[in-house]
Amino acid sequence: MSPSVVGRPIARTDGVAKVTGAARYAADADVTGVVHAVLVTSDVARGRITAIDTAVASSGAGVLAVLTHDTLPALTLPAVTSFYLKRFVPVQDDRIRHAGQPVAIAVADTLARAQDAAARVVVRYESAPPQVVLADALGEAYVPPPGSDGPNDYTRGDVAAGMAAADVTVEATYTTPLQHHNPLEPSATVASWDGDALTVHESAQGISITQNVLAQAFGLTPGQVRVITPYVGGGFGAKGPAWPHTLLAAAAARHVGRPVKLVLSRAQTYTSHGHRAETHQVMRVGATREGRLTAIDHVVTQQVSRTEELLFNSSEPTRMLYDCANVRSTQRAVRLDLPTGSFVRSPEAATGHVLESTLDELAVTLGLDPVELRLRNWSAINQETGAPHGSNHLRECYTRGAQQFGWSRRDPRPGSMRDRDGIIGWGMATAAHTAGGRPGSGATVTVGRDGTARIECGTQEIGTGTYTVMQQVGAQTLGLAVHQVTFLLGDTRYPAAFASAASATVPSAGAAVVRAATAARDLVVAAALADAASPLHGVAADRIGAEDGFLFVTGQPWRRVAYRDVMARHGAPISATSTPVPTPLGYSTGAVFAEVHVDPAIGRVRVRRIVGVFDPGRILNRQTARSQAIGGAVWAVGFTLTEHTLVDPHLGRVVTPNLSGYLIPTNLDIPDIDVDFIDRPDPDSPALGARGFGETPMTGTTAAIANALHHATGHRFRDLPITQDKILAALS
Amino acid sequence: MQNFAYRAPASTTDALRLGTGTGARYIAGGTDLLNLMKDGVQRHDLIIDLNRLPLHDITPTTTGVRLGALARMADVAAHPQVRRRLPLLAETLLAGASPQVRNAATIGGNLLQRTRCWYFRDASMPCNKREPGSGCAAQHGQNRWHAIIGGSAHCIAVHPSDLAVALTALDATVHTLGSGGARTIGIRDFYRLPGDTPQVETALRSGELITAVDVPSTGLTGRYLKVRDRATFEFAVVSVAALIRTGGGGVVREARLAFGGIAPVPWRSAEAERQLIGRRLDDAAIEAAGRALTLPAAPREHNAFKVPLVRRALATALGGLR
Ligand SMILES: Cc1cc2nc3c(=O)[nH]c(=O)nc-3n(C[C@H](O)[C@H](O)[C@H](O)COP(=O)(O)OP(=O)(O)OC[C@H]3O[C@@H](n4cnc5c(N)ncnc54)[C@H](O)[C@@H]3O)c2cc1C
Repeated sequence: MSPSVVGRPIARTDGVAKVTGAARYAADADVTGVVHAVLVTSDVARGRITAIDTAVASSGAGVLAVLTHDTLPALTLPAVTSFYLKRFVPVQDDRIRHAGQPVAIAVADTLARAQDAAARVVVRYESAPPQVVLADALGEAYVPPPGSDGPNDYTRGDVAAGMAAADVTVEATYTTPLQHHNPLEPSATVASWDGDALTVHESAQGISITQNVLAQAFGLTPGQVRVITPYVGGGFGAKGPAWPHTLLAAAAARHVGRPVKLVLSRAQTYTSHGHRAETHQVMRVGATREGRLTAIDHVVTQQVSRTEELLFNSSEPTRMLYDCANVRSTQRAVRLDLPTGSFVRSPEAATGHVLESTLDELAVTLGLDPVELRLRNWSAINQETGAPHGSNHLRECYTRGAQQFGWSRRDPRPGSMRDRDGIIGWGMATAAHTAGGRPGSGATVTVGRDGTARIECGTQEIGTGTYTVMQQVGAQTLGLAVHQVTFLLGDTRYPAAFASAASATVPSAGAAVVRAATAARDLVVAAALADAASPLHGVAADRIGAEDGFLFVTGQPWRRVAYRDVMARHGAPISATSTPVPTPLGYSTGAVFAEVHVDPAIGRVRVRRIVGVFDPGRILNRQTARSQAIGGAVWAVGFTLTEHTLVDPHLGRVVTPNLSGYLIPTNLDIPDIDVDFIDRPDPDSPALGARGFGETPMTGTTAAIANALHHATGHRFRDLPITQDKILAALS
Repeated sequence: MQNFAYRAPASTTDALRLGTGTGARYIAGGTDLLNLMKDGVQRHDLIIDLNRLPLHDITPTTTGVRLGALARMADVAAHPQVRRRLPLLAETLLAGASPQVRNAATIGGNLLQRTRCWYFRDASMPCNKREPGSGCAAQHGQNRWHAIIGGSAHCIAVHPSDLAVALTALDATVHTLGSGGARTIGIRDFYRLPGDTPQVETALRSGELITAVDVPSTGLTGRYLKVRDRATFEFAVVSVAALIRTGGGGVVREARLAFGGIAPVPWRSAEAERQLIGRRLDDAAIEAAGRALTLPAAPREHNAFKVPLVRRALATALGGLR
């Protein structure tokens, strides 16, 4: 295999379209006759609608309909397995399960008129005081139904014996807050009906999910629903499952007999597509004096809603990462009057943060360097399954990262490193996230008579570089130049693919492209071999190589023929389609090092430096992979220092439903981020040696920052986000 | 957002005539008003665009600089006279909002921007300022951002402007024009504490225009310190505008201390200032000033941290002036 195509830092092929505005996102879809829908949402968190007055709203100019639970036709609740997570469809009855729940839909010929109509709908409620504070309800924690996100009660070995055998133990309670995804592009749907055929332009991370959910809700076959999503303006998990607004837009379109566009307002995005649930975590670890882990005991209690019991803060890292014979992980739920949670960028970050922070506490207790502690507990296998990893170069990540950061110059005493205007802290942590282990995808590769290839795959581009990387994977496998391959995605008419989530796109869609491209290439080779006039005629197929648009005899590169010529003589396109094969479970890891600076006078903290060295198997494209690592680090700064959705404890309503109240890091909050890769193929990978990587870089970075803050201040901040007031309190 | 009529008068006379009608509202940069209207927090039938009025100039005066009400934040911050004679003002303006916002936002609009209290900014929440009598959800709700001084049982929202804090330290004067004629209002008389009428925020009468702000140059050395939850593009959690003049032996002759983020109005603390006069700016004096400042503090559940934080901020600001 030639290294010439895969691995190259090719700039994203959709970049120009995006920065020039040529890229058409869901809400930009040019659908003739489209009208606009605006959701009216509940102001109360718990209760019942006693009356809805739509008379004034309906009488407005251009208003086509104002639909309520009295007038919206019944929809079927899709099964939870379809990834419609909510256990009810709103605007179907008078019950209010959480603030922000849709209670009516205003449809009008212009957006302004629809907004105006929505504002004039008068809803009366009978409400009860909601319970939304996790800390107040910990006593109500219970064992949720099994299986939603790993085992609720997992044990290996004997934790009590492991703790008893420990020379030191550390116990700590951590809390992580409610957080939201905040993609730049709010969720949007444009739905149009043609008889019983439904076409939806949707900002979706999983077009097949949206397709199936719509089919179930409207009693259609999936074939009757087409979902189109050429671009997604960020999702971070928000657009993976399907949510009510999509169903409501389609229902409204059917009702008014016109295509309907529905775009969530920014405020609505805080109640419409899930969140990272608040957690309360108790962690105990035991170790020998030498720093070998003897036991880990991790209890995670997290918020669920009144109608859903799904968990999304899995304790996966605790179960999998470190070599430890005695491990217990316990997952508990507390029902609150809040919307359902969901996947939010690197869902395991919340539990991984606690594991990695507690290990730092252990290192301090033992007087052991935190890098050394991790090296001593490194595991060659997945500790939960016992299966070996395809490859695991985590130890090299530690040592290379430490070197690049200058870790050996660290004085471990807290507060010992200073500059003119403050204290410096250095911290590190392990990044680790599963990648793959999900359903497979399909793809169709068609080599045309001009020798170029077109690849169709029903995957999505969520900003991670899928267009670019899949084009590279296809070109590499076929033996074409990158510009000879076109990659098409985001249409359910293409072979179905898994969602762009769970770091699964490269292993799932990438493997589908590899399989289809290999089959297509074999067919082209067969055509060349069968052609008596070809310089390859009669050569054994396994001796044929393909590169840069040519087929050639291995070892005799002058005996070659251009794809173009083979295809011209063949006279018809050659096509191959791959069928889904579940992907193996990969584990992408890394080591992250962070430097923070604290101004002790006012407690201000700035992250000054982040160094991350990662092992995601083979790097398909250095540039897009690096961007993933930078993005993860940025989110980690937010997770650790600023991001927190505040809910009023009495009203049960989000008080920060905008980018002014919900603080995401600005450019000035982000330091230089130094990213490096081991870049060695994983032999288990079905995608040219690459593993999934999207979620790994955020994990580890959060704890590296928090551990650096301990190093700076001598105080352990166990309640996130670590805002200035907490630092100030610790320093006084 | 509801429909409204739009007028753009070319003279202050015309503006005033339009502006005294019910349901009328002026617009300058629109960076605050439009958000409030889109979110349904404010509804107006007539929007009067002030931008054609001749109130854009930044002019040196014998005592300082006069800022036209329509002068842009960015232009004021970059003006050579302001930078030379009123460095504190330039520093403060640059600590606010973002370049994009500062290019559009005006001095008059900045002084009249509404609070960022999230209960006020969400039209469906209880808020006495927006809807007198509906209650103040912040009293027992999420009040991390709210006032520790000067609030009432009816309202504990803080005034968000950085500029107003600096102008309060600088003893600026606001020039207005109303149907009753022109007035000058000292900045300290301009803002009103909430009491039981939190909807009344300033001394302005209905339809009265701000025409200019006079900022005297003081000869004092000053500093604006803004503490916030992220590095930029964020309102102050607390802020301090400090101006000091010292005489022989480093003894403080004059001190002016104004604070943002802690009160419903830009907060000038004569008590804190008094602690500094006649003393050297040493740690003990600074400590005493901080204690005097926060003596009347009555923090709520989530904002007690502002008491030590504003003191530390004061100490840091003054420390930089030693
Ligand atoms: C994202 C963002 C971040 C921000 N960050 C900060 C910050 O960090 N610090 C800070 O201080 N500010 C900040 N601001 C607020 C910003 O400074 C104000 O929105 C701006 O100064 C308002 O000026 P304007 O000209 O746009 O006012 P407009 O929005 O046009 O008007 C505001 C109000 O003033 C009235 N008005 C305007 N001019 C006059 C006049 N001449 N006479 C009578 N009434 C008048 C209007 O009727 C209206 O009620 C921020 C704003 C945004 C949007």
